Amino acid sequence: MRVAVCSPQVPFARGGAEFLAERLTQELRELGHDADLVTVPFKWYPGTRVLSQALLWRLLDLDEADGRPIDLVVGTKFPSYVVRHPNKVVWLVHQFRQAYELDRTELGQFGDAPEDRATRRAIHRLDRQALGEARRLFAISSNVAGRLRRTTELDAEVLLPPPQELPYRCETYGDFVLSVNRLDRAKRIDLLLEAAAAREALRCVIVGDGPDRERLEGIARAHGLDGRVRFAGRVDEAELASLYGRCLAVFYAPYDEDFGIVPYEAFMAEKPVITTHDAGGPLDVVADRRTGLVCEPRAEAVAEACAYLLAHPDEARAWGSAGREVAQRLSWRDAAERIVDAGSGA
Amino acid sequence: MKVAYHSPLPPERSGIADYSALLLPELRRHVEVEVARGGRRRAPRGTDVALYHVGNDPEAHGWILEALRRRPGVVVLHEYVLHHLVAGMTLARRDVAQYLAAMEREAGLPGRLLALGVVDGCIPPLWETRPEDFALAGIVLDAATGLIVHSRYVEERAREAGYEGPVWRIPHPAWPRPDVGAGAPVEGDPVIACLGHLNPSKRVPQLLEAFARVREARPQARLVLAGAVAPRLDLDARLRRLGLDGDPSVVREGYVDEARLWQLLDACDVCVSLRSPTMGETSGIALRALSLGRPLVVSDVGWFAELPDEAALKVRPGEREVEELAAALDRLAASPEERARMGEAARAHAEREHALPRVAELYAAALEEAAGGRAVADAVLAEVAGAAAEVGIEPGSAEAAELGARVREARIGD
Repeated sequence: MRVAVCSPQVPFARGGAEFLAERLTQELRELGHDADLVTVPFKWYPGTRVLSQALLWRLLDLDEADGRPIDLVVGTKFPSYVVRHPNKVVWLVHQFRQAYELDRTELGQFGDAPEDRATRRAIHRLDRQALGEARRLFAISSNVAGRLRRTTELDAEVLLPPPQELPYRCETYGDFVLSVNRLDRAKRIDLLLEAAAAREALRCVIVGDGPDRERLEGIARAHGLDGRVRFAGRVDEAELASLYGRCLAVFYAPYDEDFGIVPYEAFMAEKPVITTHDAGGPLDVVADRRTGLVCEPRAEAVAEACAYLLAHPDEARAWGSAGREVAQRLSWRDAAERIVDAGSGA
Repeated sequence: MKVAYHSPLPPERSGIADYSALLLPELRRHVEVEVARGGRRRAPRGTDVALYHVGNDPEAHGWILEALRRRPGVVVLHEYVLHHLVAGMTLARRDVAQYLAAMEREAGLPGRLLALGVVDGCIPPLWETRPEDFALAGIVLDAATGLIVHSRYVEERAREAGYEGPVWRIPHPAWPRPDVGAGAPVEGDPVIACLGHLNPSKRVPQLLEAFARVREARPQARLVLAGAVAPRLDLDARLRRLGLDGDPSVVREGYVDEARLWQLLDACDVCVSLRSPTMGETSGIALRALSLGRPLVVSDVGWFAELPDEAALKVRPGEREVEELAAALDRLAASPEERARMGEAARAHAEREHALPRVAELYAAALEEAAGGRAVADAVLAEVAGAAAEVGIEPGSAEAAELGARVREARIGD
């Protein structure tokens, strides 16, 4: 089967959605399909630019390429699923969140002017049309599927993507809690810093970079956390695998996250995950006292969770081990086969 | 974004006043709303879009229609037939010319001649005899920048009349189920209820005949008739002719307040809500019955025909109406299981389609699209057209047509 996997590309930026599209394409090839990745640059501001850029996808002709038909297109993240094709399957990474649950929050994009409000509504209409014409809809998490249901009244099957294939291992259950994330406000890494301020025994390693780094480092300095909290910045795959292998547990509590690959990576290293009730996607796999701890989104609650695991390393080991079983159930082979089956009418 | 909201409101007693009282608090969660003061023809200042609730009663809606004509906006067309409203705003004010013009717009020269016949007293008023044939909605459609309707039926009639603006189909919100409380009980097996204003267009004569047939085989069946009786119905005489006069199988109550209305609906096994001719209206009674999970028997017309078959048995008005109605009532009387199944489907439909938060969100979407949609479409189209021109795509070319088709598919400018 000839398959075009579609993914928008924000020049000079790279994240989970890009990894998903590339890895799916690779797996489809390994299954013997003629698969290729189709990308179009995406810029979503100012004003109505989000719509005109989305429209670019509609103008593509992916019915065939180089004189041979394309049998299936797979849309992923907004606006790649706007693409027009008689056999379209969508593996939804996320809609344009600024037009939905982030609207009227500090992470939103649209103001109260009639043009802004109407632009947001036009995105809703476009989504209903573009997603409604798909032969089958998959979503990367229950959270994403739930949002889709609430906003478009369309149903999607949950198809969890597996983590990237790092040399995961468990070396020890050390004395630090690891955070792996882009440093922006929605990831709420300040909860972990405030928790460290409240518990002198708690040590943390913060992996990642981003626009919130300066503020977070300021918080750490203000609390005198130097020596107990280390900002590691971006690290290579080997160091990341090593950090996963040596930490006690992994903290991951973004607000209303679509999916979140970090818990799976933590599980592959047999480490429990500390998250919060409002984290969204991570709650698909982080079960309280089975594969980690799920607490209130408050620093004191996070501090208690970290302290509990420091005091109970056997439970940390047991929950991490249970997590590994969860993560190992996911396979790229299975995901690729389900998508191809959907595109074959199976 | 701010909306100028025109509607009758309580303490006025009308279905649309109750509707707005239900909708407004929820709508205010989405958009800023300034309610226009009743009777004021000028819209509140500083608003981005005006909304007008239009019904057929000239007393309640005359000022709203005048405000609409001063400042075009989005019209909620609660019913399609507005003949009574137009007659009240023209003939009742001795403005014969406007009435003649409205009838001519509706039905050409024959319409104008008929209107002259009405004015001269040669024929009875058309708003009483044939309103469904002369809806006179044009006066509203001309000034509406967008329409909100409750049914596909009204949308289709507006389109047939040549309306080309945007139309949003938004279900009538369901009232939250109140704490019904205990009232005077109604015993029967089954209890069939027909509530609200009782008049010939609610097919009460046909219902009485059908019930008389059902009762022959099912002496425990009860028919509850509650509501003010239209003088031209002559209910007592009809009951006498059918041998139902004073019979315990027919339970009559006059006008009932909201609390008693809910009690009676709660007490019934089947709710009958018939209509012919239809003016394109919805039925508040039928909606309440859906919320309570009561199976419905309705006429197969207009909004009623669009109710899900799983929740409502439909009867075609006409020659075999009594027969079909009796068969439907008998079928439901014979099967408590089917009644339970239909009742559950009714409740699910009300929760899914008519939930107040969903309706308010649909209103907000319609109003936001009405206020800014044109500007957004223009901006996107200008960008696309500019890019097309830069690469040499000429207006009117096949490539331009292709671009237009893709833009339409993306529903930009809908």
